[in-house]
Amino acid sequence: MPEPRRSLALALRRSARIVGALLRASLMVGMQYRSDFLLDALTGLVRVAATFAPIALVYTSRDSVAGWGVHDATMVLALFMLLSAILEGIIEPNLGAVVDNIRDGTFDLVLLRPADSQLLVSLRSVAPARMWNAVGGVGAGAWALWHDPPGAALDVAVAGLLLVSGAVGMYGLWLIAISSAFLFVRVDNLRHLLTSIVDAGRWPVEVFSGWVRWALTVVIPVAVFTSFPAMALRGEWDAALLGVGLGVGVAFGVGSRITWRAALARYTSASS
Amino acid sequence: MTAGSPWAELRALPTLARVSTSDHIAYRAEMTIWILTSTLPLFMLALWNAVVQDGQIAGFGQPEMARYFTATLVVRQLTGVWVMWELSYNIRTGRLSSQLLRPLHPLFMHGVWMVTALPFRVLILSPIVLALVAWRPDLLAWPGWDGLALFVLSTSLAFCMSFLIQCWFGTLSFWLDKSDGLFGVWFSTWMVASGYIAPLALFPPWARHLLDLLPFRGMLSVPVEILGGFIRPADAWPYIAVQAGWTLVMIALVHVTWQRGVRRYGAYGA
Repeated sequence: MPEPRRSLALALRRSARIVGALLRASLMVGMQYRSDFLLDALTGLVRVAATFAPIALVYTSRDSVAGWGVHDATMVLALFMLLSAILEGIIEPNLGAVVDNIRDGTFDLVLLRPADSQLLVSLRSVAPARMWNAVGGVGAGAWALWHDPPGAALDVAVAGLLLVSGAVGMYGLWLIAISSAFLFVRVDNLRHLLTSIVDAGRWPVEVFSGWVRWALTVVIPVAVFTSFPAMALRGEWDAALLGVGLGVGVAFGVGSRITWRAALARYTSASS
Repeated sequence: MTAGSPWAELRALPTLARVSTSDHIAYRAEMTIWILTSTLPLFMLALWNAVVQDGQIAGFGQPEMARYFTATLVVRQLTGVWVMWELSYNIRTGRLSSQLLRPLHPLFMHGVWMVTALPFRVLILSPIVLALVAWRPDLLAWPGWDGLALFVLSTSLAFCMSFLIQCWFGTLSFWLDKSDGLFGVWFSTWMVASGYIAPLALFPPWARHLLDLLPFRGMLSVPVEILGGFIRPADAWPYIAVQAGWTLVMIALVHVTWQRGVRRYGAYGA
C-alpha cells in the first residue's frame, strides 16, 4: 500500500502516537479476562521456578561450565527470561494473529487502515501476564550483577547495544517466519519449531559445539540477545563480537522489512 | 451420548486405524515439523556433556549422558500425544457434538489417532538417533532381552499416562475457557520432575524419594532408565507398579470428569 511522502519528524511522531494507542488498547484487552490473567500469572510463576531448576542442579556439582560461572550463567538465563517475556508477551501474540487474519480474510481490514501495516500487526495485542518472565529475569539479572558487578561503563553500553540488536534480530526472524504464512497459510508448527530452538538460548552459547553456536548466533540469533550481552558485561567483548552482534540485528531488521513488503505484494485478499 | 459397546469399538478399529494413518500421511510436513519440536533432549545433552567433561557426576560421565538423553529423546517421541489441544479445541468450537453422535467413544478415536502416529515418529527419529550413535558409539548398551521387554511394558504405561493426563486437562475445557494454561503448569513441573532436563540421579536424595512416588517419573525416566540400563531389570518392578497405579488413578479421574463434562456440555444445548 503506497503511503504519502511526508517529513521524517512528522512521520516518527505519528508512529509514536500509533504505538502508544496500540499498546494502551491491547493492554486493556489483555487485562479484561481476569481469570485468564490470573491463571496466566500462576503459570508464569511455576515456569519461572522451573527455569531455575537446571541451573541449580548444574552448579551444585560444578563451579564452572565451559568457562561460565554461576553468576555469568544466571545472567544469560535472566536475559533469556526477558527475551521470553518479549517473545511470548508481544511478538508471538501479534504475529500469531496475522496468521489467523490471513486465513479468515480479516487481514484486509488491517491493510485498509491509514498507517504502516507492519507497525499495526506488530503491536495490536500484548499478553500482560507473560510479563512474569520479565519480573523473574530482572530479579535474576540483579542478583547476578550484585555478585559480579561489571567493570566498566563501556561494557554496559556495549551490552545494551547488543541487547537491542538481539531483540531486533528475534523480531525480524519471527516476522520473516510469519510472512511465509502468505504462501503456506498454516505455519503454526513452524512457530513451535522456532520456539523450541530458541530455548537453547537459556544456556551460555559456548556450551555448544561450533556449528550449533553459529546457528544460534546467525540463523536463530538468540545468542545475540542472551550470551553476547552477558559476555560484554564481563568485559569479554571485542570488535568481532560487537560486529557480528550488530550485523545480525541490522540484517534481520532490514530483511524483515523487505520480506514483509514482498509478502504483501503477493497477498491476494479474501475479497479478490 | 456415547453408548459404544466394546464390540463396536473393536470392529471399528481397523477402519479407524486406516483413516488415522492416511490423515498422518496427508499432513506429513506438519507432522515432521511437530516431531522436530521435541529436540530439547539434544540441547540438554549438549549442556550436560559440557558439564561432565572433567569427570563424572553421580555415576554419569559423557557416554552415560549421551545414552540417557538419547533414550529420553526416544521415549519422549514414543509417548508423545497432543490430545489435550484436540479436545479443548473440539469442545470450544462445538465440533465435539458430531463426534458424540458416533457410536464410538471420542477418546477412543483420539487414542487410535495418536497411536497410529508412532510409526511416523520412529521414522523421523531414526536418522537423529543414528547420528547420535555415530557421534558417540559408546552410548549403545544392550539392556538384555528382559530389559527390552520391561522397556516395552514401561513405555506403554508411560504412553497411557501421557494420554490420560492430557485427556483430563482437555476435559477441563468443559468448564474453563482455556485449559492449556493449567496444562502449562503441569508441563513445567513435568519437565523438571520427570527427568527430562536432567537425570534424576543428580537430584538430592529427599527429592528423589518424593519423585519416586509422584506420577512424573513414570511418564519418562522409568522407561528411559530401563532402556539405558540405569535401572536393572530385577529392580524395575516397583517402578512399574507405581506406573500402573497412577494409570488406574488417571483412568478413574478421566472417566468421572468426562461423564460430568459431557452432561454439562449437553446442558447448554450443543
